[in-house]
Amino acid sequence: MTTTEPGPAAVLKEIPRVAGHAQVRDDGRLVTVRVPAAQLEAVAHLLAATADARLADVFAAEDGAGAEAGTAPGSVMLRLVWGLDANQRYLVVESVIENERYPSLSDIAPAAFAEECEIYEQFGIRPDTHKPLNRVMLPPQAGPDFPRLGHPPAQPPADVHAPHVVGGHAFEFPVGPVRQLGAESLYYGLVTSGEEVVDLYLFTWHKHRGVEWRLRGRDARDALFLVERMEGLSAVANGWAFASAAESALGIQPARPAVWARAIALELERLYNHAAALAALCQTTGLSVGQSAAEIALERFLRVNAAVFGHRYLFGAVDVGSPGRMPDLGRLRGDLPGAYGELCRAADALLRTNSFVDRLEATGILSAEQARRLGLVGPVARASGVTIDSRADHPAAPYGKSRATAVTRAEGDVLARLQVMLGEAAESVRLIGELARAADAGGSLADLVPGGNPRGAGLGWAESSRGESLAWVAFGDDGLITRARLRPAAVRNWRGFDDACRSQNVFTDIPIIEASFWLTVAGTAR
Amino acid sequence: MPAWFLRGLRRGVVTTRYPDRPDPSAADLPTPPRFRAGQLTAGVAGRLVEVCPSRALWREDDVLVFDAGACTGCGRCERAAPEAVTASGEFELAVTARDHLIKRIPLPRQPRP
Repeated sequence: MTTTEPGPAAVLKEIPRVAGHAQVRDDGRLVTVRVPAAQLEAVAHLLAATADARLADVFAAEDGAGAEAGTAPGSVMLRLVWGLDANQRYLVVESVIENERYPSLSDIAPAAFAEECEIYEQFGIRPDTHKPLNRVMLPPQAGPDFPRLGHPPAQPPADVHAPHVVGGHAFEFPVGPVRQLGAESLYYGLVTSGEEVVDLYLFTWHKHRGVEWRLRGRDARDALFLVERMEGLSAVANGWAFASAAESALGIQPARPAVWARAIALELERLYNHAAALAALCQTTGLSVGQSAAEIALERFLRVNAAVFGHRYLFGAVDVGSPGRMPDLGRLRGDLPGAYGELCRAADALLRTNSFVDRLEATGILSAEQARRLGLVGPVARASGVTIDSRADHPAAPYGKSRATAVTRAEGDVLARLQVMLGEAAESVRLIGELARAADAGGSLADLVPGGNPRGAGLGWAESSRGESLAWVAFGDDGLITRARLRPAAVRNWRGFDDACRSQNVFTDIPIIEASFWLTVAGTAR
Repeated sequence: MPAWFLRGLRRGVVTTRYPDRPDPSAADLPTPPRFRAGQLTAGVAGRLVEVCPSRALWREDDVLVFDAGACTGCGRCERAAPEAVTASGEFELAVTARDHLIKRIPLPRQPRP
């Protein structure tokens, strides 16, 4: 994707000119533009060519029983979420698709391909090209009666398989879906000529639970309970994104204590996840002493979580409009330095161990261009030199006051990802100290967005330990959800995993690369 | 280690108590519910069955059945009926048969119409 002027601010003025009859609604941090389907391609081209505009998500909703106002029965509303990071805004481009084809978005922004496949499985509409669409979400046994958000596709999507013998010497080596050490179900189709990774295909549908389908018809609080549990290791980030979307849709302003509590919980979540990633890196490089040291730090972080918020994985720390649980700041101040000290001791020792560092250096390299093209987020993108952090780019209270600094590296390898995580852990401890002091003093939250009128639909976001987590939710007149879209960071970053594995790596590098991504299958096979 | 070995030989006991000492972090953990039978009415039991997300609670006529093996300790039942449910504080469960995890709590009989 080439980027040219104009920048994000100018492009908002340019869209109505390109689209002709665009309806623009500006809600401050979120701009919604509805464009005719015939102009969708031109608008997507304009945005893809805009500096600092990135396609963050694509999803659809079917009219059904009047869920989407202004659409004809049977039509599908397509939504493209763009991050205008330099402008601190998100842009949602909506378009009503009234037949089974829409302009191919992945030809304009390659990051949209996985979503095009998902929309085909769920709604039966497809991009207007002859490219085959892969099976990404629903299992092969999903027949016409399988619960879907829309209607089934005319033809089943293609399973991604290399021929068992590729080019005479290479062959496909199946790995999973049941894998060692209790990792989540995931199946790799690993194409190899013996030792080197020629290609790698991911099959992520084994764990599909239909969470978005299950959220329909629930109220916000009931839905939050499921959202927190969808990807347990990002309960706070996904919960915050969803609660924030629901608050925006319902016109609720979160209580001030809720805002402090969420941010403290989010940083604690980042700390334990980064400690867990370090332990996983030690395990995959065969360093059992280092693994034990990192797991001691991890256990201490989990105990801090339990002491401060009453749950080791911070479930219940976020609620819609009000604080779920208030943190015990005394225990936080007393217990956190010791836990972080354990992490620093383990990390310092490991970074002085040549056999560890040599294994990480130049392994699983992703360039900045790859990270941008695939729309990657979080430490994976930052380790490749892409400075993207929704705490800084789209600061929701209290991050406007307590400014997070994005940690970046340029190398893009496993070592760079570890260094980014360790830098972020230090930044999280600093932020927690700042947030706790401000919470004690009852500091002002001048950037707290007023609740305003109910808008019926809203977008929420939070920076999880894996990167930007997005949620979009729409409510009916009865206050129940008509469509909820959840886009955890894992959805974006798994699509960079196969590229990282292909970059001059051998079999034994794959678990190391996977540990450095520290993703969950639950986050993508939702 | 040698002292532990000799003590084991002398007493004939080679294991230690579990837990060796109380774990203070246990007090911070969410735990399965404990029911106050006296406060459980048919209406309260119905509410509890409705809020349980993992179907660890169900009714069998005038009995509320609780399956501790299906409980995730989410705390929804405590919040739905605080007068009848409290946290048990027991976060470790060990039984010799699956059925032993299932508790049956009789509810007060409904007066005949």
